Amino acid sequence: MSDTFTCIRCGLVVVTLTAEETRRNHCPSCLSSVHTVDHVEGGPTDCHGRMAPLAIAVRSDGSWALVHRCTRCRELALHPTASDDNQLILMRLAVRPLAEPPFPLDVFATL
Amino acid sequence: MPRRKSTSRRVQRRKDVQHGPGGVSGDAFRCVGCRLPVPLAAPGTAHRNHCPHCLVSRHVDGRTPGDRASSCGARMSAVGLYARPDGEWLLVHECAGCGALKVNRVAGDDNALALVRIAVRPLADPRPARRALRTL
Repeated sequence: MSDTFTCIRCGLVVVTLTAEETRRNHCPSCLSSVHTVDHVEGGPTDCHGRMAPLAIAVRSDGSWALVHRCTRCRELALHPTASDDNQLILMRLAVRPLAEPPFPLDVFATL
Repeated sequence: MPRRKSTSRRVQRRKDVQHGPGGVSGDAFRCVGCRLPVPLAAPGTAHRNHCPHCLVSRHVDGRTPGDRASSCGARMSAVGLYARPDGEWLLVHECAGCGALKVNRVAGDDNALALVRIAVRPLADPRPARRALRTL
């Protein structure tokens, strides 16, 4: 286990330990990750594709987690966000469904 | 609201999975969340996997949708939403038993109030919004 990793997308050298003493798996700048863990069967995988941020999932305690999808094999992964993650990308992921609703949202104004 | 149709859409997988009890083909399944019978015919999708009332799904598939390869069988609740570039919403489900994740397109008869509740849930906590405003 190395203490730093280089982001596969933007090339940033990232320290693995966050300020909250947790391990990070994605770049705090572009939120990209590398597919190294097989999440369906467990254990390592030899895919090593880039995992792009897909959506925000809310944990039961109200904290945010980031859903990643592998751009190569489309596998999904979940990892909690860190406090120094790029807040603009996180907020963009959170409000994106509301910006493109499949049905008109103005009916909720009359509820 | 008219949908923007994209021409480069991946073709949908053929549906040949068994829904009835004991591996027989049925035309409905019972929701593990609210116990309502859910018909398989849904407007807008041929791959319904969640209850249109409470959006709860069940973990039966492995790596490929419809392969019925998972022995978990636990309930999967909706945790997040993703909007495709063509404007369609995808629901992200997380298994309560093993933590597996699945995405599924929303159907035309899914409860709009339940969907919007999932969509606004990240914004219920004001701290991330304040952090985003500070970085501007």
